[in-house]
Amino acid sequence: MVAGSTLRIAWRNLWRNRRRTSLAVAAIGLSVALVLAYYSLLRAYADWVLATLTGPMLGHVQVHAPEWRKDRAMDRTIEDVASILDALRRDPEVASATVRVYAPALAALGEEGFAVIVMGVDWEAESRPGRLLAGAPTPRSRGRVLMGRALAEMMGVREGDEIALVGQGADGSLANDLVQVQGLIETPVDFVNRQGIVLEIGEAQTLFAMPDEAHEVVVHARDPDAVELLASKLAGLPNLAGTEVLDWQTLAPEMVSLIEIIEVAGVFALVLIFVAASAGVANTMLMATFERTHEFGMLLALGAAPGCIVRMILAESVALGLTGAALGGTLGLLFVAVTHETGLDFAALTGGGPTELSFAGLSWSMRFYPSLAAGDVGRTILAVLVTSLIASIWPAFRAARLEPARALRD
Amino acid sequence: MARARLLRAVALSASISLFSGTVESFQKPPDVEAILTHLDDLYRSKSSTSRMEIRVVSRRTTRTLRLKAWSRGEEEVLVVIEEPAREAGTATLRVGDNLWNYLPRIARTIRVPPAMMLGSWMGTDFTNDDLVKESSLHKDFVSRVERRSEDPEGWWLTLEVKPEVVGRWAKIEFLVSDDWLPIEERHFDRKGRLARTMRFDEVKTLGGRRLPARLVLTPTDVEGQSTELRYLEIDFDVPIADDTFSLSRLEQTR
Repeated sequence: MVAGSTLRIAWRNLWRNRRRTSLAVAAIGLSVALVLAYYSLLRAYADWVLATLTGPMLGHVQVHAPEWRKDRAMDRTIEDVASILDALRRDPEVASATVRVYAPALAALGEEGFAVIVMGVDWEAESRPGRLLAGAPTPRSRGRVLMGRALAEMMGVREGDEIALVGQGADGSLANDLVQVQGLIETPVDFVNRQGIVLEIGEAQTLFAMPDEAHEVVVHARDPDAVELLASKLAGLPNLAGTEVLDWQTLAPEMVSLIEIIEVAGVFALVLIFVAASAGVANTMLMATFERTHEFGMLLALGAAPGCIVRMILAESVALGLTGAALGGTLGLLFVAVTHETGLDFAALTGGGPTELSFAGLSWSMRFYPSLAAGDVGRTILAVLVTSLIASIWPAFRAARLEPARALRD
Repeated sequence: MARARLLRAVALSASISLFSGTVESFQKPPDVEAILTHLDDLYRSKSSTSRMEIRVVSRRTTRTLRLKAWSRGEEEVLVVIEEPAREAGTATLRVGDNLWNYLPRIARTIRVPPAMMLGSWMGTDFTNDDLVKESSLHKDFVSRVERRSEDPEGWWLTLEVKPEVVGRWAKIEFLVSDDWLPIEERHFDRKGRLARTMRFDEVKTLGGRRLPARLVLTPTDVEGQSTELRYLEIDFDVPIADDTFSLSRLEQTR
């Protein structure tokens, strides 16, 4: 279509006015770099919301007995959890699957009882990075528990203290035991800090008379963007018949909008780049064609086809746009490369605000990790390309329609 | 044809209600105050000891407990589980507004915090609050006779909580038999929803009083769930050792 020579000539033409072209390239490059940086921050924000929401507590998909979410009754359990876990872990889309027990109970150091939630969890699964107990000490021996720090402060419990737990088994029987507080924990989940006593899942099942049963199965997906699909696939597993399988969007609908807002912001950024690039390209190309009226007249007089002129101007403008995009892309990727690993400390950036904020019962670290997908870069470059073409259509056709005789007189 | 039948049915039911209306006018509405005072004191006395059986029916299982209870005045109650063996010796002591549970397996006494007062008592549909509250029908509620009940025969009373009283129930509908015994009690919460129903039956003489030996409590919000309490024996006004209602005694219940 566009011969190599056309491109070469276009490239040369472009740099006939170095200053003007450099300015245009810089303008386009800067706006591309800013848009990419902006995209990477949007992605950081989306990842941050998703990781904080689904990492420690919610997971991507949860399984419960029907109605459990309504009243959290002790006896609404999922049965045969060992075989359910096996089935889930066999699915290649499942990154991890773990079960939990939630039992309201009374805890007492001395005579005073306090209302608590005893959580039975899989130590190993919940201690992985980004999960509920990441970084917490994991008790290895029987009868050891972890306790939310705020709860411990309220009860006056210190590490090593022995406390009594009294609750009700899933069969309605009385459940009571003495346990030792191995460590105090500060999790990202408020209610665990304020009310939680965390016990190994097997011990919780024994204490609350619910062997091989649990209240919740938490699944983390390998691909967090394909969760809906995974949920409907898992719901079809024979082991999960009669249970309620829900993705996190259904479990926390109020949080979905936190992420959906990003799409709107992304469209906004694309509009921005159209405006910036089209202004840069249109101005440069208009100036270039006005200046070269005489030259185009000569070319036409020598017998160049008008299409040839159009192609050359379009090629010039695309070359200009792509050069700007290449510069901006490099700058943008450099920004992400520098910030991706360590993250951006938002607290420091805003002048030493809090390093964590509490919202929706979760604590949110103020560190963001910018990242870009190939699609983000591709979309941006495509936007520059399209804009360059559109912006140069008018100058190109104007040049092609020149009357050689009059153009030569100018 | 169908229309004619409908009209006849309406005419018939109208005459029935007219007729029953005349019967009712002969039946003098009872003295509500006297009934409530009577009901308040039905199971109460200066002191009592009793044995009872509680059957908790849940979606999952049916659990039967046997209990022994001591009470003195309106402030002091001690309940000890005798069966099943696994839970034997588990006890609840109430003194005034305080409630303690003693758990023999771990040899601990734990006071129930105010936040747990509406929680289940020993896995039944009774709440801890049911054991503690001194709610007096007579003192806390404004009552009126609502209507006559034909089957079973008695009077429906409506009790509305006095504005200054802080309690769980906004309204109680009470069906009382003509011999002043409770038949049914419906508890409405502060939002006006029916929260639970209590039915009384198996009237017999216990401890020299004629009273319903069985009470079935059915919470509205949990289907398939109910708790049945049956008095096996009651002795009223018996001497009870002074130290019965103490923490140190609580820990020796076994």
